[in-house]
This record gives sequence, structure tokens and C-alpha cells, in this order.
Amino acid sequence: MSIQSNTSTLILADKLIDGKGGSAIEDAGVLLFGPIIKAIGTRSDFDGLANDKVTVLKFTGKTIMPGMVDTHTHHTGFGDGRSGDDLVELPNEVLVLQAAKNARAALYSGVTSARENGAKDYTTFKLRQAIQEGITEGPRLVLCGPPISTIGGHLGYFGGEVTGQTEARAMVRRHVKEGADYIKITATGGTTKTSFPWLSSLNVDELTAITDEAHKFGKLTATHCLSTQGIINSLDANVDMIIHCIFNNPDGSSDFRKDVAERIGEQGAYINPTLHVLKSRIWALLKTQESRTLTPQEKLDLDDRKRFYDIRLEHCHKLIEMGLKIVTGSDSSWGDYKLGNTPYETEALVDAGFSPMEGIVSVTSEAANSIGIGEKVGIIEAGKEADIIIVDGDPSKDIKALWNVENVFKSGRELDRGSESSRDRSRQYPPPPLP
Amino acid sequence: MRNPNPKHKLIRANKIIDGTGKLPINNGILLIEGTEIIAVGTERDLPLPENSHVQEFNYNEATVLPGLVDCHVHLNGIGDGRVGDDLALLPDEIITLQSARNARQHLYSGVTTIRDCGSKNKTTFMLRMAADMGITPTPRMMLAGRPIAIIGGHLSYFGEEATGPVECRAAVRQLIKEGADFIKVTATGGSTRTSLPLSASFTQEELTAICDEAHNLGKHVAAHCTSTPGILNALDSGVDTIIHGYNRGSDGILSFDPLIAERLAKNEVFVNPTLYQHVARSRILKSKLQSSSLTDKETKELNEIDTAHQLKNEYFSKMRESGVTLVCGSDSAWAYYQMGDFNSEIEAHCQIGMSPMEAIVASTYNSSKSCWISNEVGTIEPGKKADLLVVDGNPDSNISDLRNIVDVFQEGEIVDLSDKI
Repeated sequence: MSIQSNTSTLILADKLIDGKGGSAIEDAGVLLFGPIIKAIGTRSDFDGLANDKVTVLKFTGKTIMPGMVDTHTHHTGFGDGRSGDDLVELPNEVLVLQAAKNARAALYSGVTSARENGAKDYTTFKLRQAIQEGITEGPRLVLCGPPISTIGGHLGYFGGEVTGQTEARAMVRRHVKEGADYIKITATGGTTKTSFPWLSSLNVDELTAITDEAHKFGKLTATHCLSTQGIINSLDANVDMIIHCIFNNPDGSSDFRKDVAERIGEQGAYINPTLHVLKSRIWALLKTQESRTLTPQEKLDLDDRKRFYDIRLEHCHKLIEMGLKIVTGSDSSWGDYKLGNTPYETEALVDAGFSPMEGIVSVTSEAANSIGIGEKVGIIEAGKEADIIIVDGDPSKDIKALWNVENVFKSGRELDRGSESSRDRSRQYPPPPLP
Repeated sequence: MRNPNPKHKLIRANKIIDGTGKLPINNGILLIEGTEIIAVGTERDLPLPENSHVQEFNYNEATVLPGLVDCHVHLNGIGDGRVGDDLALLPDEIITLQSARNARQHLYSGVTTIRDCGSKNKTTFMLRMAADMGITPTPRMMLAGRPIAIIGGHLSYFGEEATGPVECRAAVRQLIKEGADFIKVTATGGSTRTSLPLSASFTQEELTAICDEAHNLGKHVAAHCTSTPGILNALDSGVDTIIHGYNRGSDGILSFDPLIAERLAKNEVFVNPTLYQHVARSRILKSKLQSSSLTDKETKELNEIDTAHQLKNEYFSKMRESGVTLVCGSDSAWAYYQMGDFNSEIEAHCQIGMSPMEAIVASTYNSSKSCWISNEVGTIEPGKKADLLVVDGNPDSNISDLRNIVDVFQEGEIVDLSDKI
């Protein structure tokens, strides 16, 4: 059903979670006027409103909440284990088609906003243009273009390699000219074959040139950090979000650094821990194990990753206890993690110590604030865009209810999400428990 | 445990129309092995496989026919009236996304094979690459890639201009190297701003070089012809399908020429009359007229379309009566004709004297023959791919029953028509 821009819709449900973290409203209602939320309240607040000018939608046993905001996606990825080095070999037209498919999978799973964290050339900008022209459906996109990296650095193959402050500033300007909403930077190596994950990449002077130039245009910055030195360099450069936030030494060993974590808090930077992307690799290996014996290399990899996941969970627990600003960002489709499965990351944050309601905040209001769109979306409040999902059950009691999305509204328009079976094909399931 | 993907599938139907024009089989049975049809008949004359893994489909109220074959689409098009000159200005990525949307819409409307008669740069080749990777669903695609045009000629903005027989041969080789399944050439001008619809574009020599080179490499040629000089050049050079086929002199008046019709019939050249293309525009104007009013310009346009449509119908009736093989190709999503509505073109063929069964043949078997793919699809016969359309009703007596889709099969698998991802 489509809602005309001049029509009112009243959505009623057993519960409303506004995304701000306070307790849910029981027996609640939201009034939409076109694409905008007009009012929220309890059902009785809307008594007498029902007339022929207001469409009333009743969802018994369900919860109204803001559409999910995923702060970390890779729209052109496949999530089938292929490396970025291989992904980038595909022609841009094919990457855009994959990006469009991922965008639909994400939107129909309840993700109404996504911050894309890097793709080849300006492919994602073309996707956004097509969404705006009504050619395809997708979430509200916050885009960066090719992440800025060193020569051979992580994601450098996407087209954002720079050396020195001048080139760094030029790249920021080019991205902004093309329509970038924020600037993504790789401050350490990563999975990219020619990069060094535990070593920093761009120097502090280069990082500072990037953040300074970005901030000048009112754009946020975010750095990929797989090592402690990368985090420290990013903080020196006044970066707004630390992605991954891995406390690794140059030799790959891990030591939680409370002093560095405190600095993150003092500077008010957000943290996007990306826990599940690691677990999805563990799941993929366990699934491989179902059909064949793992190679010695794979066995080693599996044990390493299991050990590292426990470390990451423990470090994330400490960050949560320190009260730092932590948001859901899935990092899908990357590695073995496919778009359309964002709730796994929120579940992992709950495993790390968030309450279910804190988990919800991390994937709604706080996520939206962290990517600079909190004024428009992320909470259900009068004046905000009507990006709303209806879920079966109560995710503030059991975060797994985020999987039970039954209706998705984007800017007040209820989406036709197609068949359940087609959506289920985008869903990833955990491996069966070991006998 | 039941095998989720049994090797054999058995389809029972109230009626099977095989696409060849033969009488329908009542209470028919169709047997599929893997991706192919292996038997078709009735319960009496078909031994049923004694295989516990046979998956059965019962369409006791419905008609099964070959998946439709639309021999003329433009996947790049938006169908909102914008001219090709403007369409070609969009970035290739956007055009590719639109192509994917169109391909899906057409497939979901029962069209399992399409021939794309011209697209920008490599956009449709890229779509096929993505389809092969499982990224997006499409019908089986016969692709021309870029149409070969003269400098400034019709569709030249899609990126393949050639001058002289040598460049023409090079263009054919280049397109086939990139993956073209056939060659589309514009033998006259058309809606392209810098082209002249009533004049021939390529010389006889150039067109012959194109046909010769394509045929050498086992590919067929389809030529856009909206006036007499183009039709004559196409006939002389051995073109396999004539698109539009309007016999018009420099005065622009459409007139039936029995000699040309005789040559078309004798040389077994297929003609794709694109009957609905202008009606799509007229329907939009008529619906506007019902809800509000038309401008003077629009009223004039509507009258012109309706007059032209009448003349076109008479013209193609005579073509049909002369034994010319007319094949259904929608020409969507060009101009105002959106994809997912091939049925309108098929139905238009019933207005030039075709019986519903004849129109079905024109949009399945004959259309597949014109695309040089009838060894694979277009009929329900053993050895053909199991690309099928299941509809409620009796399209052999009521052609619009083709719209009542129950299921679509592609290579033996049911297509999820409500997959929006």
C-alpha cells in the first residue's frame, strides 16, 4: 500500500519502542502525515481521530520501532568468502547490480538507513541515483566512495590511494565533489593482500590533513583500525568513529589499552566493533567442516578465529563497561557476512554486555547519531522521517525479535517486500550445533 | 527423505498448447528431465516413469504453453516517453540497473526469452554476466549489444557508428567478440534526432558487408526499417528480420507493395511490425483525456496516432494475407511502452486478422525462429528447454487469457514471481 504525501496514517500496536532507550509505550500509536511522523502516544491519545481521512493500521501483539540503522555496510560485496582483492576485478556495472540486490535485501530485512563503508570508484553513488529515480529500492544511504588509503593499503584497490597531505586533501575534495556524505579512511592494513593489518598505514600528518579537510566541509570521518597504533593515530587526527577498534600490537598479539579507550571516550568518538563478521567466518568454516575435513590451514584458521573472537568479546565488554559510544555496524557484505543479517551484530553486542534495549539504541538512535543523520531518523518522534518497522514480539526483552520484521515503512510508505521465501534466501543461519 | 530437486517433473494440464499451431492437447501431460522437456502427450500415449522421485504439478484448470518469446525489446529503456537521445546520457551503471528491472518484469509476466535489439555500450552484456552469477533474474537473452548505425544514424548514440564495408565488418566482429548473439543494424533513420526515418542510412554495399560477416560467424541480422529504401536494401543484402517494415516513400505515406511482400514471403524474411508501440502513447493520452483535458498539441498527436494506427493495421493485414511471417516483438521499453506488457503486442496481432492461436505461434515458435533459437525454445517438444508459461483459461480462444499467469518455469524450475530481492 502506498501512502500519498497528503494522507494520514495511524499505526497502532501493543508496544512502541522509540529508539531513545527509555521504557516502551504500551498500547501505543504513531500518527504519520505523508513521509513524516506527526505524533506518538498511547492508543487513547488518538481516540476520535479515526475518520475517513485517516488510514488505521492495527498490529496486535507487535512492536513499533524505528527502522534499523546499520552504520557499516559494503554494498557491492557478496559475503561468500571472496576477498576484496577479487571483488574489485568485477566490472562496475556488475558491482552496481550486486549493490542494488544487497540494498533490497537490507531494506526488506528492516534496515532503512545504511552507511556504506567503501566500494569501487563511485559505484554506490550510482546506486543512490537509481534509488532516487525509482529504478530500484534501497535504504537511505550515507556514502563515502573509495576509502582513502596508502598505496597498497587496505581497500586501496577501490580507487582512494593517496600519499602526503596534498594528495590526501585532494582526494577528500574529489569525494565531496562527487557527493560523499562522510570520509572513510583505512588507518591500518586489513584483509587486502598487499597491506599489513597490525601496522598503521597513513601517517598522522596525512590523517590530520584528511580529517581537517573533511571537517571543513562538515563531513564526518571514520577510520578502519586493526591495531592500537592505528587507533592512537586516528585519535591524534581527531577522527569521529573508530571502526573495528582492535587493540593489537605490531606482532598481532592483543592487549586491551584502557588509556587509549579512555581517550576515545574523552574525544567523544564512536566505536563500531564489528564482532559478527569474525564469527561469520567461524560459521563458514564450521559449515565447511560438515561436508569435508578442513585443511590443516583451515583448522588453524578456525582455532585462531575462535580464540580471537573471545578476546574481541572481552575487549568489547570492557568498552561497554566504560560507557563508550558503541554502535551496530555489521560490516556486511564483507568476508562471509551477507547484507540482510544486521541483527547478528546487535546480538553480538548484547552478548558483549549490552542490555537488549541498549542493543536497540545501538542500531537506531545512537547509530543514526554516529553517522550524522540523527536529526532525521533513528527515533520515533514527531517531526522525524517515518522510517518505521513492525516486529513480532518485544526486542527489548529478547533482541532476537529483531529478526521478526513484519512490515517496513520508509518515509511513510509501506514497502512490498515480496515473498517470505525470497527474503529467507538472503538470511544466513548458524551452523548446526556440534553433536 | 524426499529429494528436494527430483530429476523428473511431471506436469498435468487441462490443455497443452505446444506453440507450433497444432491443435491443443486436452488433459495433457508433460515430462521434464532436469532442464529439458523429454515427452509430451496424454496419459494414454505416455508411459509414466516409475520413479519415486518424480515431482508432480497439477494444472487441471489451466493451460500450459511455451514461455513467450519477445523478439524485440530494449532493456535499457525507461518507457516514460523519454527519447533515446536522452536515455543514452544516463551513466551506464544506471542504465544497467534499469535493464535488470525490465528483465525481471518481463520474466515475471511470462516472457522467458527476449531478443534485445540495441543497448548502450556493454550494459546488456554486463547484465548477462550478473545474471550468470545469480545476482539478478532475467529471461533467456539474445543480445545485440550496440546497434550498428551510420554516423548520426538511428541509435548511433549507443556507441557503434561505422562507415564503409571495412568498418562495418570490424563492427560485427567487435560485437561478436564482446558476446553479441546477433547483429542489429539501423537501415533507415528513426526517432534519433540526427537521423532521417524516410531515408536509407547504410549503402547497399555496407549492409551486405554486415550481413555477410554476421552470417559467416553464424549470427543473424535484424534491421530497423521505417521506409522503402531501407526495406529494399535489407532485402538485397540478406537481412533475416525486418523490424517495423513500414513501406513509405519520401512523402511518408504508408502503402502496401505486393512485390515487396512477395519478396519478404519468398525469402522467408521475418517481419516484426511493432503494432502496439504507438498505441501505448495513445492510451496514456486517452486516460489523460478522461481525467482532465488535452492540450491542442496532444489532441493533434492523439488524432495522428489513431489515424496511423488504422492505416498500419490495414497494411499489416495485407502483409499477413500475402504470406509474410509476422513475429511478435514489443519494442518495449522504448518511448512510452513499459516492459512487462508483451501481451499488448500479442493482442494487437489479433486486430490484423490473426486468430488467437496464430498470435500464440507468432509470439512463441515463429518468434523463436526469427531469433535463431528455435532449436532450444519456443515450442513444447522433446529436446526443448522446459521454459513454460501456465495460465488460467483458454488463450487459444481468448488471447487475453495469456495475462492470467499461474506459474512460469525456466529450464524446468518454477520462477518465484514475488521475489523482489
